[in-house]
Amino acid sequence: MATRIPFGPQHPALKEPINFMCEVSDEKVLSVRPRLGYIHRGVEKLAENRTYNQNLYLIERICGICAFAHVTCFSQAVEEILNIEIPSRAKYIRTILAEMERIQNHFLWLGDVGHEMGFNTLFMYSWRDRELVLQLIENISGKRVNYAMNTIGGVRRDITSMIMPSLKEGLNHLEERAKYYTEMCTKDPTVLRRTVGVGMLSPSDALELCAVGPTIRASGIPRDVRADDPYAAYEEIPFKVITYDGRDVASRLMVRLDEVLESISIIRYALDNLPNGDVRVRVPRRVPKGEAVSLVEAPRGEDLHYVRADGTEKPVRVKVRAPTLANIPTLCKMLIGENIADIPVVIAGIDPCIACAERLVFVDTATRKRWMWNKQELRKYATKWYRKK
Amino acid sequence: MAMERELLKSLAKKPATLCYPSEKATPVEGIRAKVAWDIEKCIGCGLCPQICPSKAIELTGKGSEAEITYYLDRCLFCGECVDVCPTKTIKTTSEFELAFTSRTEATIHYKRSKPSSNRKEKGC
Amino acid sequence: MVPQEIVTLLQVFLFPGFLFLFCLAFFSDWMDRKLVAKFQNRYGPLYTGPKGILQPVADFFKLLAKEDIIPIAADKTVFSVVPMLVLALSMTPLFLIPMIDYSALIWFEGDLIVIMFITTLVIVAMFMGAWASTNRFSTIGGMRVGLQMLGYEIPMTIAMIGPAISSKSLSVSGIVQSQAVGIWYVITQPLGFAVALICLLAHLQRVPFDVPEAESEIVAGWLVEFSGKKLALLKLSKNFELVLAGSLLVSLFLGGPLGFWLPHPSVYFFLKLIVCIFILSNLRALFARFRIDQVLEGAWKYLTPLALLQIILVVI
Repeated sequence: MATRIPFGPQHPALKEPINFMCEVSDEKVLSVRPRLGYIHRGVEKLAENRTYNQNLYLIERICGICAFAHVTCFSQAVEEILNIEIPSRAKYIRTILAEMERIQNHFLWLGDVGHEMGFNTLFMYSWRDRELVLQLIENISGKRVNYAMNTIGGVRRDITSMIMPSLKEGLNHLEERAKYYTEMCTKDPTVLRRTVGVGMLSPSDALELCAVGPTIRASGIPRDVRADDPYAAYEEIPFKVITYDGRDVASRLMVRLDEVLESISIIRYALDNLPNGDVRVRVPRRVPKGEAVSLVEAPRGEDLHYVRADGTEKPVRVKVRAPTLANIPTLCKMLIGENIADIPVVIAGIDPCIACAERLVFVDTATRKRWMWNKQELRKYATKWYRKK
Repeated sequence: MAMERELLKSLAKKPATLCYPSEKATPVEGIRAKVAWDIEKCIGCGLCPQICPSKAIELTGKGSEAEITYYLDRCLFCGECVDVCPTKTIKTTSEFELAFTSRTEATIHYKRSKPSSNRKEKGC
Repeated sequence: MVPQEIVTLLQVFLFPGFLFLFCLAFFSDWMDRKLVAKFQNRYGPLYTGPKGILQPVADFFKLLAKEDIIPIAADKTVFSVVPMLVLALSMTPLFLIPMIDYSALIWFEGDLIVIMFITTLVIVAMFMGAWASTNRFSTIGGMRVGLQMLGYEIPMTIAMIGPAISSKSLSVSGIVQSQAVGIWYVITQPLGFAVALICLLAHLQRVPFDVPEAESEIVAGWLVEFSGKKLALLKLSKNFELVLAGSLLVSLFLGGPLGFWLPHPSVYFFLKLIVCIFILSNLRALFARFRIDQVLEGAWKYLTPLALLQIILVVI
């Protein structure tokens, strides 16, 4: 007997609305159908009506957690169109903040996955320790979540020598905590029981379904934009791409915890080798005609931004492909054959950020009909719309 | 089981959270929070409303007559206006408790006082 | 001289009867929440009463005042009866437990069996409630309630039989009295104590055994459709269950209200109860949730053999 269980859009395990219609038999999942479209905000369209500088703050708010990755990605794309090189000190500061963001995201994720498996103590502890890195970020940028640090042509604030000691001290503490969690997660029997062998994703599936970020790295494939297509200062900083072969949630846990340690060493290196100089170059308000694609390794995986400019103050098109969208097909694959009890853990395993990945679904409220447009239909509509304009 | 020691340790520790209304976090140096105008210094150049990403600033009047309306509920606290101001009229304060019960409370008018040069800040 | 009937009436309604039990239930809930909060390095209840001690009471009354919704598809009679049934069933065994004296308010030979029977009935009532609410999540929760019971009920019963065999009495009061002359059974039967502790944790549906109401998996499990007054009663009965679990451990293994220098036996009972709640809270903060198959596997693979081993040791 197969029953259909709606997982979301309103569900305590989901922090954001997405719907997974799971067909289950006994406690096993037979098939999954995801449905997006609950919190589409039209960011891409909004971006067309703002200047590049104003867009920075809009793009930053695509995601609350990987805000810096998105805004770095966007500014890189615009800088590419402008054809300017940002000062190397700015590059280093971008790297430092990006890695701090990775640390805070991974701590947040650890707490979240702990909560999904009913381990609220882990949730409380890891969020408490996340506060440390948020304070470091606040020390640098003056804000905790959306840092407002990036700007086209560099960063807006410098890391002064005054805050350097407190940063290093904070990093030591963070390292200690990350090591503690690594040890805890490898030893605690209940955590192991809930994660080992859960949400399996084979390397071939991961490649075929285009998984990104820690999800693909936990299947043993070293794919990381920081190493494959270095941006900011990653070219000059030595670091390892963490991979694990377990293919399950436990490996994703370990990948993330090891990445925290790796991030700490990246930040240390960057702080020690911070070049002198300016942190930003002034850029013209008008961006010349052109287009650019920019890639950034967000904490959740590869983030892609496409910007097209037409010589005015505003972009013609901004396209965002957030990492979660790339991971949703793999998620559906992973869920098949799992227990109902494991659905939240597996979903949390890819670290979903639904609002980033949101896509549009048309709903006719009168007839309750839902449909989506494919590429051709969308193109037809777009041509018509622009002609009319 | 791996957490038992940490659990017992936190029994003796002070809770990590703050008892909010009675105990408040101290804002860090250089926090980006609510901004304030020293309206007498304003020359009405119009750069701040132009750069503001969320249209939280409205300028009325021209030159030395200019007055500012600051919609706190729209503000992103990015501090672009502070950076752009040529006369350093705009300053970041460390006020971070910005919850309001109505929209009008969150609208701040900066008006020039005619005779004296004292700044007047008044909710409408 | 006050007539015996009035004394008994006062005992039933005030001390150690209903009023006392209500206070105890709210207190143990507060203590549990406060302890778990402390373990998790946060404050816990804080504002209602000194140190938030009145928070459970406030929560109870708040829930009483809330809208009470009965789903259209639900079996209305069963759905409405279940909360009261669960509350009554979880309160009843407490009268059989000696709290202020060496013998309970009501006691008879075989009341241990009655307690076990009633704890099982509570589960059945929960299952009925889950089934009557006809929600998809509560159906799964109800199934899990039943499955989990199949796992822990047997080892729990066996573990509780240990003290009964040692004291040659099937009454909780009898077991307490035999510990007065002998030694506490936690020393002679540590395995039984451990098994009973884990099984009671499962009976209470607390982490790591909160499978039936796993919040992040099946929303609130069997509780999902209950609201308002019904939820208040169910939450209250959970607190009674917590008191019951603590006081069963105290009476069967820790010598009940036995003491030497404190003025009143109930003080002793109270202290031991606090120790038990401390242990239960500590375990709650320590683990992640098991999966239902893991619960059953663990119960049958480890708990039942251990409980049997304890019985064998006791008999020898």
